[in-house]
Amino acid sequence: MPFSNILLDGMLSRMTSLLKATNLTKHYGSTIALESVSFEVEEGITGLLGSNGAGKSTAIKLFLGLLKPTSGTAEVSGNDPYESVESRTLLGYMPEGECLPSSMTASEFLTHMAQISGLPPSHARTRAADILRHVGLDEERYRSIGEYSTGMKQRVKLAQALVHDPVIVLLDEPTVGLDPGGREEMLKLIRRTGRDFGISIILSTHLMGDVESTCDRIIVLDEGRVKEAGDVSQYTQETQTIFIDVDDKRDELIAALTSRGIEASLEGSSIAVQQENEDQYDQIRDAVVEVDAQLRRMAPRRHQLSDIFRGDQ
Amino acid sequence: MTESAGELFDLGYRRYDGPREGRIRARKALYTNGVRILLGLGRGSSSKVLPLIFFIVVMAPAVILAFIASVAEDIDIPTHSDYYQIVSVLLTLFAAIMAPELLCPDRRSGVLGLYLVRPMTSTDYVAARWLAFFSITLLLVYSGQILLLVGLTLGADNPLDYLKDNWLDIPRFLGAGLVIAIFATTLPLTVSAFTTRRAYATAFAIGIIFLSSLVSGILTECDDHGPGDSFEQCEPLTRDYAKWFRLINITGVTLHLNDIIFDEDDISSSPGHISELNNSIPIGWYALVMLALGFVLWWRYRRIAA
Repeated sequence: MPFSNILLDGMLSRMTSLLKATNLTKHYGSTIALESVSFEVEEGITGLLGSNGAGKSTAIKLFLGLLKPTSGTAEVSGNDPYESVESRTLLGYMPEGECLPSSMTASEFLTHMAQISGLPPSHARTRAADILRHVGLDEERYRSIGEYSTGMKQRVKLAQALVHDPVIVLLDEPTVGLDPGGREEMLKLIRRTGRDFGISIILSTHLMGDVESTCDRIIVLDEGRVKEAGDVSQYTQETQTIFIDVDDKRDELIAALTSRGIEASLEGSSIAVQQENEDQYDQIRDAVVEVDAQLRRMAPRRHQLSDIFRGDQ
Repeated sequence: MTESAGELFDLGYRRYDGPREGRIRARKALYTNGVRILLGLGRGSSSKVLPLIFFIVVMAPAVILAFIASVAEDIDIPTHSDYYQIVSVLLTLFAAIMAPELLCPDRRSGVLGLYLVRPMTSTDYVAARWLAFFSITLLLVYSGQILLLVGLTLGADNPLDYLKDNWLDIPRFLGAGLVIAIFATTLPLTVSAFTTRRAYATAFAIGIIFLSSLVSGILTECDDHGPGDSFEQCEPLTRDYAKWFRLINITGVTLHLNDIIFDEDDISSSPGHISELNNSIPIGWYALVMLALGFVLWWRYRRIAA
């Protein structure tokens, strides 16, 4: 068994969580990028959410071993990526910006990147072909990357992050610059990578929709600190508020509900009712019939990830 | 005719459980990639033209000298000790044009960012690229000398006697070749580390070599001398310090090391010549400049990586 495989096995056997930040701090002079941040990333798809300047890119660079923490630790499967270059074998990285050589073919580039990741040439060629098939570029693999569309380039970027079969992949704004169709395709590919390929993913983005539709868990960074962390479902669960959408007669409906002892108010174009018991649905139905309003929708309101940030306003 | 009843199966994603060779493989891959870029391998035919032209042009003096030596008798023609002086301009051009090919596109396209998150450090990257360029430059400078040696040996009346009499030229041109190749590799690569545009890097590298030669030339130039004054009597602008200002011209210093290796460092007839200095000074200065350039190159990529 090659020495690097032994090292890799050693790294994995010591594995607790995939990524672990403990009191992680990074200052650039007087600018604080991250301040005593602690979190753990386990298997699955984790969203790293935050606005520009929240510290997402700094956190990623620390886990990639590109930066040395000012204090605290960033660990990849129990290893310090800044000190242990070999531990980067466990990682894949898809940057936000340009990173592809336009003169090379996708096949040639992926084979090269697989070797740069430590795979012998013959294995590198096989892996490159496999991954290009998985990302849907099988037919186009012998074309120069410079001739690719934005969506195809994003897929090559994802493919190079996966070519060495990492344990975890860090994706930095993978849907930036894509049209709605391309964005959905990319998110589908990310979900497939995380769920079918068994490769854990960190999805760094400022787009809450991408996180909601793709991630199992989220870590929200704000001004260099962890603002929230937990399962996505925890932040998108149903609330006790029922939203009623009617085409007309909103005021009459509010009056009819109030007369039944139900507290109702107008929120935007919807009527919000605080649910106290299951019978309220019947009472609402009766009130709608009474005022003869056109009912469009009646459903409990769900929390949204944007609520996390709404509290600040 | 029987109809084939083939069926396609999607095997799905397969995890990789083959060998992983880590950092050593990464360095090898980057080195090989660098050599292929320089030779234009795996790229369009236009990429192969430039290296081919340089190889032909650098070989040409060796072929011509070997040919003259084989047909002409009793002519003192230039040999191994002069070869590097003859091709130095061509080597400089080769280095200035080809070295940026190794570094500039990686930064311009952003591929460097992908390399540095692999099991590889910025030091590994710089070392692999430096070695790739050094290997090709060494191949270039040695090829001409080997061709010249073969030509001179075969052109001699008695090839065996020629080799017996001139065997010392072999370690000398190998040593001098190393000195030339280290210079031709380190300077243009260091310059290339500061721009993403190949044309700028080429222009800067040529500019630095030209300027260092010009400044040194002005400072060590002889004052105007009246009619009847011989060249030996003229006085350099910087008088006794002229020999020290010769050190500014790093190309001149490198070629002077060639003279030292070939034991041809006799004091020149021109006053203030570098050969007036003890040999250890230009040797030490060369080593210091190369180390400093190498350090700048390394430091620059350390900064980029962070």
